[in-house]
Amino acid sequence: MDVPTTVTTALEDQPIDGATCLEAGAGVGNTTAGLLAAGAARVYAVTNDADHASTVRDRVGCRAPDRTAVVEADLRALPLAANSVDVITAHGLCNVLTPPALETVATELTRVAVPGCHLVVDDYEPPPADAAVRELFALENAVTELADGRPALTFYPATMLRRLFAGHGWTVDRERTLLDPVPWTRAHVEAHAEVVRSEAAELPDELRDPLLAELERLVAAIGEESIGEMYSIAMRFPG
Amino acid sequence: MQTRALGETGHDSTVMTFGAIALNWLEQEGANQMVELVLDRGVNHFDVAPTYGDAELKLAPKLNQYREDIFLGCKTQEREYEGAKTKLERSLERLETDHIELYQIHGLEYEHELETIAGEDGALEAFREAKDEGTIDHIGLTSHGNPQLILEAIDRIDDLETLMFPMNPVVAGKDDDDHDYEAVLERADEEGIGTLGIKAFAKGPWPSTDELPEADRPYANWYEPVDAPAEIEERFDFAASSGLTSVINAGDPKLVAMILDAASRYDGMDEGARRSLIERLRHEESPVPEQLHH
Repeated sequence: MDVPTTVTTALEDQPIDGATCLEAGAGVGNTTAGLLAAGAARVYAVTNDADHASTVRDRVGCRAPDRTAVVEADLRALPLAANSVDVITAHGLCNVLTPPALETVATELTRVAVPGCHLVVDDYEPPPADAAVRELFALENAVTELADGRPALTFYPATMLRRLFAGHGWTVDRERTLLDPVPWTRAHVEAHAEVVRSEAAELPDELRDPLLAELERLVAAIGEESIGEMYSIAMRFPG
Repeated sequence: MQTRALGETGHDSTVMTFGAIALNWLEQEGANQMVELVLDRGVNHFDVAPTYGDAELKLAPKLNQYREDIFLGCKTQEREYEGAKTKLERSLERLETDHIELYQIHGLEYEHELETIAGEDGALEAFREAKDEGTIDHIGLTSHGNPQLILEAIDRIDDLETLMFPMNPVVAGKDDDDHDYEAVLERADEEGIGTLGIKAFAKGPWPSTDELPEADRPYANWYEPVDAPAEIEERFDFAASSGLTSVINAGDPKLVAMILDAASRYDGMDEGARRSLIERLRHEESPVPEQLHH
């Protein structure tokens, strides 16, 4: 499979070859594939989503079964030993973590890191005020707040994540821009719309129907949009 | 329009090369106007081939009016000495000139062709003879075939001075060796070989002929091109910022003015924007289900 250039760019200056790696929030396996392609000795691809876990197994894990361990677990309580991971990646993870969850995950990632561990955090700057996708993300947050009592998305500025991890003892090696602008394609817009539809299904009719009507209006109005920035921060744990 | 050194040929080519195949679909008067437009925008490198219908014939009048201003590339699909020699003579005749600056092996596709070209009585012998006689100045090669084969050609042909190959953000998003034209670019750079990009404006293959008969296609290109000014500009910027010496326009004459405009305004494209384009097109081609992130 083709590893996205965002992933190869984020990993290209990291010592992946021969390393034990943790991909925190494995998604559909793009970063796991990038780590394997860069020569990782072992990749723990951790996700709390059963569908994602099986997608990663099918797309990526089966190609290098001896080097891939797809682990279905909560990142706030990793089933990994302390001081056991050389390289940690969190590619597009933080924006799906609420602030309290992010703090707990940062503590866990720090616990499993060996001294000298490398950490790559890739995420999105908050979309600019004039971004049409902001309205979609706002609706997504509103619906998940109503259905689950949590926001779906929080876009953390790079400076904020740098300070958060600095508080856990990490030092920053470099920061670079991965995407500018960020291409929110029809496929991305549709994937976010699907989250709204599935969360809204749990709401009472009188709440759900107007929200879904607004969703369809937004999806049609947005189409696709290239706006905002995706960044990559590479950090290191002392030792 | 910006110019760049075409490898070690000693020629500075404009960042856009005029693909004269566009003249094939114009009457002579229109062809003359097209060449005037291209020259007016500052383009100094033209590329043509005998297989582009009657493009050579339609280029000839204006080529000769402005012969000193045009660095002319031509090519041949002949793989053996006799054929290449004859085709070169025929092109010179049709172009009404005694001299071609850059003569290229056209459309290398298979390993066995490279054997023939570089072997005894191969086309390259005719190329070298013409170079010694001063009929051509430089030897080049074009291919939209396997990048590994192009790399092999670089190894085999010591006096290769230019390469023409695809450079396109959809292709750049693919990792496998079959799409690794970046490796060709890198190697060409090391060897001081000038590089010319084709297929920069390709959006994808045409729909099947059941869906869209060939006669109903709106453009003459072999592929479906992008055709909005903003798309043309980002495609041009992508190709021109990839390290290529020069980018060749899409073949359809209807697109040339837009591409000239993009080339005139070219001022670079940073890495974040290049990746943004690759990423956007990667998803357009094969949307991964449930893909929230880039």
